[in-house]
Amino acid sequence: MTPVDAPPFASVPLVLERARGRAEIGFAQTDGVTRLDRLYQEGQAKIRLPKSHGGVPPTAVFINTGGGIAGGDRLAWSADFGPGTRAVVTSQAAERVYRSSKTDGSLAGEIDNRITVAAGAEAEWLPQETILFEGAALTRRLEVDVAADARLLAVESTVFGRSAMGEEVTACRLVDRWRLRRAGRLVWADTFRVEGAARDILAGTATGAGARAFATIVMVAPDAEARLDGVREVLETETCGAGASAFDGLLLVRMADPSARVLRDALIRTVVHIRQAEMPRVWSC
Amino acid sequence: MGMTMDTSTARPIVTDPGMTDSGGSAATDDGVDDLLTLQVWLSPAFPVGGFSYSHGLEWAIEAGAVTTAAGLAAWLGDVLVHGAGRNDAILLAAAHRATVADDVERLAEVVELAAASQPSRERRLEATAQGAAFVRAIADTWQTPRFAELLDRLAARMAPATPTWTHAVAVGTAAGAHGLALDRVLPAFLQGFAASVISAGVRAVPLGQSDGLRVLRSLGPTLRAVAAAGAGGDLDLLGGAAVLADIASMRHETQYTRLFRS
Repeated sequence: MTPVDAPPFASVPLVLERARGRAEIGFAQTDGVTRLDRLYQEGQAKIRLPKSHGGVPPTAVFINTGGGIAGGDRLAWSADFGPGTRAVVTSQAAERVYRSSKTDGSLAGEIDNRITVAAGAEAEWLPQETILFEGAALTRRLEVDVAADARLLAVESTVFGRSAMGEEVTACRLVDRWRLRRAGRLVWADTFRVEGAARDILAGTATGAGARAFATIVMVAPDAEARLDGVREVLETETCGAGASAFDGLLLVRMADPSARVLRDALIRTVVHIRQAEMPRVWSC
Repeated sequence: MGMTMDTSTARPIVTDPGMTDSGGSAATDDGVDDLLTLQVWLSPAFPVGGFSYSHGLEWAIEAGAVTTAAGLAAWLGDVLVHGAGRNDAILLAAAHRATVADDVERLAEVVELAAASQPSRERRLEATAQGAAFVRAIADTWQTPRFAELLDRLAARMAPATPTWTHAVAVGTAAGAHGLALDRVLPAFLQGFAASVISAGVRAVPLGQSDGLRVLRSLGPTLRAVAAAGAGGDLDLLGGAAVLADIASMRHETQYTRLFRS
């Protein structure tokens, strides 16, 4: 289509209503107590901050009120953990990504996540899984800045189709990009990219061997590498494909399994071991 | 990196290293000089220790995921298309292009990104030990004022951190500094990587030498395709789905009996 061919305003009826949302939360600390410092929400992105009890750190729950992501939707979430704070961010439910009208990526749903963790803070980023439906297109970016002596535990899990419903994803487009900086230096860069024939791509012995559910756990902390042996002991008891490694102040875990249920259970046991506490309550709702 | 940039210590046999390079004052432009240089740089005999890494294949073999030549070809094909092959192609191309454009800022970004893109301790070792050895060897034997000056500027730009070279980025940078054509370097580098993993497979499965060669030959079209896809050096295209290869490299770290460092 060239501009000269197009009559004035010809594109107007084609512009669909796309969902937009932006939510930001900031935590600050006074006298050793972490409290809400800033909250901003717009569009279909909402944040709930239920009262926490019994030594549980403040837990922010991200809610996409649109009930899922479609092609062209744009959501942006950010969490700012101030100096010395200790808080958790999770999500109300699994995020569903529905069929896009174009799976070539020209109309992907987009999610931009930002986390900053200031000196001495302890941050946990524990969203529930993302479920991709047949023909889904999603571009997700996670940008993380962690101070040298701060701690972060972050999880991301992705499921291709609802296997319990017998659904299979033969084609989709996922670009899930992590960039993690510690004291300003890039220490972890990773992009999970499945574009096109997802079922075939994930069938290979070096890719997924038929796995439908994948998860990555990243821990950045002064003692992250020292946690490796304990995490490996937990993974040893799991049936899902899983491995752990540690280097450069990082602890990394990757998991893959044909069953979303098996993966979720293994992920929960591993994260509970790492954080020495149960998962946020929304995980068991 | 502790390497010396002092060009005054050049070997007496080569009085003017520039004369032997295809990039500068080579007398002919038929590509033969490039070919000769690449054959040396990407040869298994080039002192980067490529023979000691399996890229996690040794664990995949132990776990029964790779037991035959066909299985090796499939596993390695996935790694090339959806794993390190694809990403190294993009990063090598990006480093080459930044070097040719004399864009140290961009080169620093590529160096940092490549080092941070390794999914396990052993894969990081595999990429960066070979990268450091490659840069050392080039600085020692294939030095040019241009490469030396580039390394100095990069070190100054990245200070106080020191550049952590991955093999792919080191090759891309040196090749750019020597004027070697990217469309020759890329497939040759990927073939070197494939040959190195296959060599590990031949020893660890074990397979016959001819089986290994057949696997390498069968991957020719894949090498071409991956090289072509990465040639633009577009960092937004990084990424992959070789999750089980990543997990294999993690599991290899605690494998009881092992021949390889990754």
